[in-house]
Amino acid sequence: MPIPLKYNLRNLMVRKMTTLATAGGIALVVLVTILLLSLVTGLRQMLVSAGSPNTLIAMRKGATSDVMSFVTRDAVQALRYLPGVAQTAEGEPLVSPEFIKQPLLPTKDGGKEMVLVRGITPVGFLVHDRVRFVAGRAPRPAVREAVVGIAASRRYQGLGLGETLSFDERSWTIVGIFSADGAAFESEVWLDVGDLFKDGTAAGCSGVRFVIPPGTDREALIRRIAEDPRISLAARSEIDYYEEQAEGAKALYLLTMLLAIIMGTGAVFGAMNTMFAAVTHRTAEIGTLRALGFSRRSILTSFVAESVCLSLLGYVLGVVLGIAAVALVNQLMHGVAFQLASFSTAVVTLRVSPEILLLALGLAFLMGIVGGFFPARHAARLRVTEALRRA
Amino acid sequence: MITLQQVSRVYRRGADEVHALEQINLAIPDGTFVALMGPSGSGKSTLLSLIAGLDQPSSGNVAINGQMLSGLSEDQLAAWRAAHVGFVFQFYNLIPVLSAAENVEVPLLLTRLSKAARRQHVETALQIVGLADRQHHRPNQLSGGEQQRVAIARAVVVDPDLLVADEPTGDLDAKNADDILDLLRRLKNEFHKTIVMVTHDPRAERYVDQTFHLDKGVLVKKEE
Repeated sequence: MPIPLKYNLRNLMVRKMTTLATAGGIALVVLVTILLLSLVTGLRQMLVSAGSPNTLIAMRKGATSDVMSFVTRDAVQALRYLPGVAQTAEGEPLVSPEFIKQPLLPTKDGGKEMVLVRGITPVGFLVHDRVRFVAGRAPRPAVREAVVGIAASRRYQGLGLGETLSFDERSWTIVGIFSADGAAFESEVWLDVGDLFKDGTAAGCSGVRFVIPPGTDREALIRRIAEDPRISLAARSEIDYYEEQAEGAKALYLLTMLLAIIMGTGAVFGAMNTMFAAVTHRTAEIGTLRALGFSRRSILTSFVAESVCLSLLGYVLGVVLGIAAVALVNQLMHGVAFQLASFSTAVVTLRVSPEILLLALGLAFLMGIVGGFFPARHAARLRVTEALRRA
Repeated sequence: MITLQQVSRVYRRGADEVHALEQINLAIPDGTFVALMGPSGSGKSTLLSLIAGLDQPSSGNVAINGQMLSGLSEDQLAAWRAAHVGFVFQFYNLIPVLSAAENVEVPLLLTRLSKAARRQHVETALQIVGLADRQHHRPNQLSGGEQQRVAIARAVVVDPDLLVADEPTGDLDAKNADDILDLLRRLKNEFHKTIVMVTHDPRAERYVDQTFHLDKGVLVKKEE
């Protein structure tokens, strides 16, 4: 039978301050890891969850986002009747020409940020099928009504239901608040595309989103859109489009992991120092346990277990602090603002997932094992007679 | 029966060799209470370590009840100690974070006994040393004499054939020292334990059956 765990737990309790200081170091690593990974997860959720495999985006060739793109009305018309484009039950093509503007709007904490305003047609709400109204309703065309994403509504002044949005010397009444599974759309303002222009018309739009029925040869359709002289646009699936937009998140993820590893290494030295001190302090006890018949392996396991308990305490502290910090950022700061490639601002809601907690647990466990192993090995290698002399 | 034949123990200290024991021949019958005496550095603790299976001789043989200890691996020696030897130390060597009963239970964790059986053994051992009512106390809540009695309970709880005691009265006042020696004597008489004790304490000679005197690693005198 191994040395009972209560022996280790009570030793940790006896050395309260050292235990807390070491667990605190580990907790800090767990906290930062949770905070940064929840930011990365929120960012990826914002960009990637926006994509649907059956929705395509057509933009000017060479444009990397619809802000940089322009599509003529003729090209939109040609797209609407292209074979392979899905239609509603009434025969309306599921094609959403969208025009982007980026006015500066005041934030609730007194700053100003570029907000993406998307002019759409009623069919746009069918194309963006993940949009759900959490309050109010969809805007009616030509009566200056707007709807606002839930993150934008929280972050900017005057974007609550029933309030008035003003830019370009005109104003709109907010008639609805929508969510979109955490996607970047939640940081946008949507209104009728005709209302975006003073004369009610536009020569074209920024980009076109359209739906294809499942099973359609997507690649062939994309080739045709590129080669058709009436259209000549670059189309790609929304998934691919947002994957490209999420490239920045990958770099952030790597940076987060690098930071976690560097901090974790520091915490490992902290744990190692604590455990070496524990071994030195308890040399006579180790000698006694060996004399009584416990094997070297039992001693090794016992001290590694103690170190792992220490790291698990740090993990629990770190998780509590991490979840509190995430809630604080989301509630008090209304999420984290990110400037997209299009220069408009997207608000990221930090998201703690079970995967993040598991990863942080793995990290804490690793810190405990590595930090405990060398002191434990030192303890296990002590000669019994020499260890007993330290009493 | 404890038998040592031509036992020597040599330590290396840098380039020097230290001869801690030289050519020791010794036989201690079962159920005998023996004291090993001698000045500091005479080799008595080294001899005790060899008898207890904590160390191996450089040459010669140590046999306890027919079991040759020379040649056993570390793990084999540990298993042998767990089953056959009880230890009593000068500074008690109790684990400070465990209660008296939990300290006594420690050697039983290496047996296959159930929790209930372990508890029974612990209670019996504490009763033998007269500390049944102090079982929930931590070592720092006990006097030196009481701590040493807990250590003796821990030493006898697995019912070993052999008890080794290294200066068991070295940290105690006269009254407690007499009580501990009396307790050891009682363990020998009532439970037929073989006890080998290293001591400087002259009063020990009143309690033991035999005294071996060592000097500079050599057995110089035996007193019955």
